[in-house]
Amino acid sequence: MNAPLLWIGLPIVFSVVLLFIMRRAALATAVAASLCLFLALLAWQTPIDSLIQIGPLSFKISSEIVILGRRFVLDNGHRALLTLIYALGFAWFFGASVAKPGRLFWPVGMGMIALLVAAQAVQPFLYAALLIEMAVLLSIPMLNPPGRPVGLGALRYLIFQTLALPFILLAGWAASAIETNPNNASLLVQAAVLFGLGFAFWLAVFPFNTWVPLLTGEAHPYASGFVLSFLPGVALFMALGFLDSFAWLRDNQNLPAIFQLVSTIMVVIGGLGAAFQKDLKRAFGYAVILESGFSVLALGLRTTIGLQAFATALLPRFFALLLFSFSLAIFEQSGAPTTLDGIKGSLRRLPFASVSLLTAYFSLGGLPLLAEFPIRQALIEAVAGQSLPLLVWILISSLSFWGGGFRLLAIMASNQQPDWKIGEKPLPAFLLSFGMLAILFIGLLPSVFLPGMLDLIQVYTHLK
Amino acid sequence: MNLAQYAIVAVPILMVCSLVLLIGFGWRGTQIALSIQYLAVFWLVTLSWPIGMAAVKLIVGLMASAVLATTQGSASPGETAAVPLSGRVFRTLTAVLVWIVIFSVSPVIMSMTNVSQATSLGCLLLMSMGLLQMGMNQQPARVVIGLLTFLAGFEILYASLEVSVLVAGLLAAINLALALVGAYLTAAPTMEIDQ
Repeated sequence: MNAPLLWIGLPIVFSVVLLFIMRRAALATAVAASLCLFLALLAWQTPIDSLIQIGPLSFKISSEIVILGRRFVLDNGHRALLTLIYALGFAWFFGASVAKPGRLFWPVGMGMIALLVAAQAVQPFLYAALLIEMAVLLSIPMLNPPGRPVGLGALRYLIFQTLALPFILLAGWAASAIETNPNNASLLVQAAVLFGLGFAFWLAVFPFNTWVPLLTGEAHPYASGFVLSFLPGVALFMALGFLDSFAWLRDNQNLPAIFQLVSTIMVVIGGLGAAFQKDLKRAFGYAVILESGFSVLALGLRTTIGLQAFATALLPRFFALLLFSFSLAIFEQSGAPTTLDGIKGSLRRLPFASVSLLTAYFSLGGLPLLAEFPIRQALIEAVAGQSLPLLVWILISSLSFWGGGFRLLAIMASNQQPDWKIGEKPLPAFLLSFGMLAILFIGLLPSVFLPGMLDLIQVYTHLK
Repeated sequence: MNLAQYAIVAVPILMVCSLVLLIGFGWRGTQIALSIQYLAVFWLVTLSWPIGMAAVKLIVGLMASAVLATTQGSASPGETAAVPLSGRVFRTLTAVLVWIVIFSVSPVIMSMTNVSQATSLGCLLLMSMGLLQMGMNQQPARVVIGLLTFLAGFEILYASLEVSVLVAGLLAAINLALALVGAYLTAAPTMEIDQ
């Protein structure tokens, strides 16, 4: 058996199978969620490149496969990431049966996950840019399903994500040129600029972030949530890979300051943008920008605490984005527009969706007792030790974001409807409650849930 | 005949083709210009790659062009409408300004990457005309043509820096997938509603 075939090949095969059964939502959900759960459990429990004995049966999962002269490697260092990706895949696919993001969600989502895992496995890892671009192209029919006019957000998403590709590939070429000519200062600058531009496009860094709220405003919230959970996550791991692989980049004196400046701009845009939005779907887009900003900030601190904050923030981030987009999908299904006018009094009409949305929103904002709070607190403490102006801007942004949340709470609680009525069906209500409790428990017991996430960064040995 | 010796001829061909794509002469003109553009790209790629491998770019480009052409029947009127004369004049002037910049910065790219003048000019020309195309259009097919043009320019440069079968294959797949996305987005509004 072969690890890349199991965690990349098998999902690709199943994404094709899902194309044929996607009209039967229950079956597609069962197949996609089961496969993801199986692959997550397998990654969690099964060592790679070691002999495994099950009764009389013994076998070994080898870590490598060679395709067209390039290696795809998934070893023990990748197991934590594989477990996380496929566990999240399970959660997203399971929720899709209720959220109804369109029938293409299952095959396209499965294909995207396989390509993003392939991007983590390919060696040299610079070729990952090509695989990520294929995942982006694959996601277009999911974001803009048949029968709907093409929105500007989808087009800008396509443009900006595609523009990242040449810059990352050229950065890779420049990086390899530096290895043979390490004293060439201009080459160092060129490589750093190319690398910076590539990641700026991928991560929707200012000023390339306009597509995010546009896309979330147009697309089905569950589909856009899926894409905006996985793509920036994988891009951030690519950035970690770059930093870990190239000493000239890692040791660059200006890099932390650039990361911190850029991330603060993202955090401020995200916080202020979300606070002043009248459309919740667009606010979701700004929340994603805020989250990406904090992740870049964590990397920019260049401290152990920063790196740990980056890794541990992934689980609360994914949970909050999943719950946010799921709640928005339930709001859309209720027929009410996801605007401030549309959610007036929703606490009495859709109590589970309303409270879930607020929980996810405040968790993304780092409100105490919720999942992101312990990480956000550590991050803000670390920033305070390095730069007071950045701290002030981050606090302004966080307070604005919270202000937007309290405004939502006030509008949702406004007494438009005298009687309470639970508008959600039992299964959505159960899933929403589960998501809320997960966020609450992670916030209350971070030392139980979050240390396991540190395994994700074990492979980046130079960054510790 | 040695193709490399006359490679600089490909540059004016690329200028004309990318200008036709930018100002929009209806869909037949666009398809023809895109096809000829890929022929010129192939010519420039042969400077760095064996003809057999460079031919992949030509074949993929022609296929991408054909894929985009297939959906023009289902395109909305706004998608196929010709650009008015004032728009054409504006776009031509913008392109001329961009060309001036390209000819002035081309030596910098040549010194950075040690590529020939034809490669440097071809790459910069297509990348910037692709960006212009993307910036001046909102119709999906035209945006995708802009992206294809941009990527074609990048591929001319990257071919001289990296010879890898996997990269060639993946870039070919990306070009085809982009064309399919363009065709899909053109046809999507008229397709059967999902759910």
